[in-house]
Amino acid sequence: MGVKKKIFIALAIIAIAMGLYVYREYFRKNKNLSYVKANFKIQANALIKEFEENEKNANEKFLDKIIAVSGAIRDVIKDDKGYYSIVLGGDENMSAVRCSMNSIDQDEVGLLKKGNIIMIKGACTGFNADDLLGSDIILNRCVIQKNDSR
Amino acid sequence: MFAAGTFLRAQDKFYTKTGTIFFRCTKSPLEKIEATNRSATCVLDTKTGSLQFAILVKGFEFERALMQEHFNENYMESGKFPRSEFKGQILNNNEINYTKDGVYNTTVKGRLQIHGETKDVETIGTLTLKDGKISASAGFSILLSDYNIHIPSIVSDKIANNVNITIDCNLELFKGQ
Repeated sequence: MGVKKKIFIALAIIAIAMGLYVYREYFRKNKNLSYVKANFKIQANALIKEFEENEKNANEKFLDKIIAVSGAIRDVIKDDKGYYSIVLGGDENMSAVRCSMNSIDQDEVGLLKKGNIIMIKGACTGFNADDLLGSDIILNRCVIQKNDSR
Repeated sequence: MFAAGTFLRAQDKFYTKTGTIFFRCTKSPLEKIEATNRSATCVLDTKTGSLQFAILVKGFEFERALMQEHFNENYMESGKFPRSEFKGQILNNNEINYTKDGVYNTTVKGRLQIHGETKDVETIGTLTLKDGKISASAGFSILLSDYNIHIPSIVSDKIANNVNITIDCNLELFKGQ
């Protein structure tokens, strides 16, 4: 095989690899968090406390991270379109961790009841401070954490 | 009767923490650019007609992860400007009978803060009263350039400067703490 031919084949392989990469990156979906290891494991009330005491530090630590939060379910909310939010923790005031659930496991989420102790894993989108309504830490794409392995 | 009157008056705020805000700035039919935030807070004071919304920018979910990352990092700079909010007023609040079920058209005017920039917006919406709950919906559009969000020319055939926003909130009575 001539040198030119080898170079041509090498370039073709690189081009195909790059094309594949771009294609996959372009159509990449958000990961199902069931298969993602949590960056932090924390009690709901402890997480609320960290944000209430120092929002800036807590944002640096938790924003965009995957957090597994455990606590008692304060509320299960289903919106018009069938999406669930689970509210965890915050006994004394209205502040809480609000978990906007992934749309995939809706059946299971529908069985949850107030007072159940649970661990939910989600992506931290931040702290929505509100004097009247109470401040919330909001987690998105949440899934029920079934065991402690991840 | 008197007792009932004061009872009603004490309860003039309605709220939600699971409001839905959807936006679309699709320009090319090949590329859908839209996202939904399902954790909007909203407070309506039925006595004064004051209306407020707040969302965390990072709470918008796109179908494609890359788009969501670009939205947060390049356009909204959500690390720097984590929250967006609207504070306004229902201009025709006195035309709404909050004790009677029905569908009421509203005109809302206020200040919308996005990407650290605040602008006046005005829109029409509806309030639907039923069984002691209020569902609020509205649709309006804004220009990204008004909020200091620039679209690089390389993607200007895909991202529209004109963004359509729709809001749907089911409000319930705020009982206080």
